[in-house]
Amino acid sequence: MMLFKNYFISAWRNIYNHKLFSMINILGLAIGLTSCMLIALFVRDEISYDNFWANSKNIYRMHQTFLPSGRPPMEFSASAGPIVHALKKDFPQIIHASREARKKSTFIQNGRYFDEQVTLADPDFINIFDFSIIAGDLDNTINDPNGLIINHTLANKYFPNGNALGQTMTINADVFERDFKIGAIIEDMPNNSQLNTVAIIKIVEEEWKSQEWMFDSWYSVNTHLYFSLNPGSDIDEINKQMPAFIDRNFEDSGSDDPVSSFVILNSQNVKELHLSGPSIGEYQKMGSMTTVLTFSAVAILILIIASINFMNLSTARASSRAREVSLRKVMGASRKNLITQFIGESVLITLIALFTSIVMVEMALPIYNEIIGKELSFEYASFDTIIMLLLAFGVGILGGIYPALVLSGFRPAEILKTNQSTDNNVSLKLRSALVIFQFAVSITLFVSTAVVYGQMIYAKNKDLGFNKENLLIIKNLYRDAAVEKRQLLVDEYKRLPNVISVTWSNDAPGVPTENNTSLRTPDMPENKNLLIGNRTVGYDFFETYDIKMLSGRTYDINKNDQRAEAEEIRAGKGFVSSLIINETAVNRFGFKNPEDAIGKILYRPIGNNGENLIREYQIIGVAPNVYLDTLKKEIRPEMFELMTKYAQFISVRFTGSPTAIVEETRAIWEREIPSIPFEYNHTIDQLDQQYQTEQGEMTMFAAFSGLAILIACLGLYGLASFTAERRTKEIGVRKVLGARVIDIIKLLVWQFTKPVIIANLIAWPVAYYTMSIWLEGFAYRIESILILGFCILSGIAALLIAWITVAGNSMRVAMANPIKALRYE
Amino acid sequence: MLKLQDLTKAYRTDEVETVALNNVNIEIETGEFVAIMGPSGCGKSTLLNIIGMLDTPSSGHYFFKDEDVAGYSESQLGVIRKQHIGFIFQSFNLIDELTVAENIELALLYHDIPAAERKERVAAVMDKVGIAHRAKHMPSQLSGGQQQRVAVARAVVGNQSMILADEPTGNLDTAHGQEVMEMLQKLNEEGTTIVMVTHSPSHADYARRTINLLDGHVVTESMRSKI
Repeated sequence: MMLFKNYFISAWRNIYNHKLFSMINILGLAIGLTSCMLIALFVRDEISYDNFWANSKNIYRMHQTFLPSGRPPMEFSASAGPIVHALKKDFPQIIHASREARKKSTFIQNGRYFDEQVTLADPDFINIFDFSIIAGDLDNTINDPNGLIINHTLANKYFPNGNALGQTMTINADVFERDFKIGAIIEDMPNNSQLNTVAIIKIVEEEWKSQEWMFDSWYSVNTHLYFSLNPGSDIDEINKQMPAFIDRNFEDSGSDDPVSSFVILNSQNVKELHLSGPSIGEYQKMGSMTTVLTFSAVAILILIIASINFMNLSTARASSRAREVSLRKVMGASRKNLITQFIGESVLITLIALFTSIVMVEMALPIYNEIIGKELSFEYASFDTIIMLLLAFGVGILGGIYPALVLSGFRPAEILKTNQSTDNNVSLKLRSALVIFQFAVSITLFVSTAVVYGQMIYAKNKDLGFNKENLLIIKNLYRDAAVEKRQLLVDEYKRLPNVISVTWSNDAPGVPTENNTSLRTPDMPENKNLLIGNRTVGYDFFETYDIKMLSGRTYDINKNDQRAEAEEIRAGKGFVSSLIINETAVNRFGFKNPEDAIGKILYRPIGNNGENLIREYQIIGVAPNVYLDTLKKEIRPEMFELMTKYAQFISVRFTGSPTAIVEETRAIWEREIPSIPFEYNHTIDQLDQQYQTEQGEMTMFAAFSGLAILIACLGLYGLASFTAERRTKEIGVRKVLGARVIDIIKLLVWQFTKPVIIANLIAWPVAYYTMSIWLEGFAYRIESILILGFCILSGIAALLIAWITVAGNSMRVAMANPIKALRYE
Repeated sequence: MLKLQDLTKAYRTDEVETVALNNVNIEIETGEFVAIMGPSGCGKSTLLNIIGMLDTPSSGHYFFKDEDVAGYSESQLGVIRKQHIGFIFQSFNLIDELTVAENIELALLYHDIPAAERKERVAAVMDKVGIAHRAKHMPSQLSGGQQQRVAVARAVVGNQSMILADEPTGNLDTAHGQEVMEMLQKLNEEGTTIVMVTHSPSHADYARRTINLLDGHVVTESMRSKI
């Protein structure tokens, strides 16, 4: 016990008396631990998605993939509506199965309208997911076609008096508007769920006859399909049987090949959906496994860098502590005693760092949450604290073990007799190697950050083929009440003084959709269609979006460009419809060039259930490739079909103030369609939003790279001041022999330049290789050669930072009067 | 060679002023061999440092080759120092990480001398002090006497006209001390001015003149005719 007290006093005084070293150690470790904790909170949140369901390990979602010829596979998070019925019939190990669709709807209360996202589900939904019930009866409500389940927030929003249960709510979901009775109230779902649902009603398929593709089409995927397995059943078993299941159950496609040759069904556990589920069709923001892994790696690297500081500074100081060690040994301390003492010391420092870092984490969390768009918090009364303590002890022991071994290994006789420097070559080389490692990691992070930023800037500034400035998109146009007013709105908007042009369309920039259809030339075999992206547009679309045609013309209201409808063709009154395709489609169909494509005929099968119905198109124009979706996807062969019947969005090309145009268009909308909320976005914001997650992660990445470098520099500073101290005699001698201040500074700075240069040589290939791979994830990306430029820039930056770190100290030492160094040995 | 006139050096801490040298007047001719003696704390080292331009006086004049350097800046002093003055220390002050030859060459590195000439001069001076066979050794592999010979070589390799030696034999046994003193004497005979601080009267006997210091004053100066 006495010994322990002695250790503690010795440790404390050592910390206190060497303030610079202690500060650097504590600050470096604290920053390292803070970074680590922040990243750990992020990672834990990311991997915790949908973990909280009681039965989560047996809950799966089925994904449908199409394999169009000549196109990359298209995997959807959704699957065909009718599958659910066949699934329960064919697989006894599936206990519950339910579809889930989202529908933007209007809640009507006392003549006021509110937009809400309603979940349409089968009754089994509540058997798969164990919602926490606050009031009411889930089972009765979900089985009642007029029953409504809402969460706590909605209940409070509409019935602040707390009497929501049993109340009536009118819901308009376009295909229906009717009254629902609130039969159950559930707790709000945690944020870490891909299934963030606020209101649930039962799917009544008869109501959807006008949109039968919603629930009743095998080749249109609009619903998520969740099911729960009998515990102990193997999902691989079910996945393996899917091809047979598909060929047994799917409706005939008209193709000679079996359906399983171009449709795949695959199920994934609910816990995996957030990080590795398919992104097309997902309702909620997803995470990314790459991000989680990258940040985990960054956290570990930062902690290693901080621990290295600790090791380096401690061994560097070893020589000055040699006397203490020797005396302790002479007094009878065993090597074990000494190792315990030194590790204890480093654990003490780590603990101080830990408390500092907890303060730092608390201070950083609000900003951090804002950047990454989460609500993370550090739970003191939980596992977090234990993990942090273990981490601190781990780092303390790891950082302390090498210095402890070195220090405890001194032989007292030699040290006390010769009073020689004990800093041997091995520890000098090791220290150098560790500094090289620190800087190699920092530079790699630096380069990576630069590449990520570069790609982001490139993506944001890439010529998308249309003019994204001053383009207002007005949404909700598909809602029933809006459809009949659409033409009126367009006409009114056109009359506004600042409006240049107005159009409607089914797609808007940065709003990902995946609509595809089959087309073939008359020369192609009947069952070998080309699957091409299907966009529908109104008149003036190309004018409004500033898209210059490569050949031919755009749709003209004065010409007969409208398409022949199925009924007309069926009745023998069909005619040739006009069509505009993009450049990729021109190549895919094998036309020589955009000019050559004009006037060519294309066939589109439009029959249902094997009916042989063909719409015939003539190409009237070719548009350039336009990037309406994310740059992560390669451009599809696309067609832009004229559509006068329905549209989702109105696009307004305007001049002048963006806020003024919003108010002007809003006023007209609210006058004409008061029952539907006016919703809009500016294209430029919408496109930015696409990169919001990346932007947050990028900021996070940049911040942590910066911190890594800061920690490395702290270490370098400490090491430089130590080295300067150690080389005082040498510097004195050199000065006496005529070295100028600048000579000495050069000498000291060069000592730390070498490791940074070597670190560069290591970091560049690593950064180049990893970032080239990262860039491959983007269909449209910066040139790899640019990475090399970033490497050189980062290298120079690292050198400059290292110089600045070391120079101040060197200057002080170089200016000192040499007599002080030389008088006493 | 040099002349100190009314030279005073005072060290000031927060409250106390300590006078290390008080009105010192000394003249040293070119080619002299002067020993400075006195008890610990009498100001010997301060005097040597000022003569060696490692320190500046608080007041008075210091004429070096008829140039008053008392008010010179550190870098001006540095220029004169590296041209004219060589140093030898009690604790040798060799750099542990450099070999014998490199330690000696260090004195030429700051003189803009081409590498080939440097090598030549280092080789010559090593021959002269008899450590040529140890050129590639590290200081820690040498005996004290050998180390001090390296230090002497380093002090003269730049053709310095004056050597300042601060107890050059203090860390050496009698035989090695003798060796070093003989070497200094030989250098003096070849024309180098030598100023040496020492505690040993027998080593002071090698000098032609001895200056005794006490509490910052010159108390006696004794000449000794050469045998």
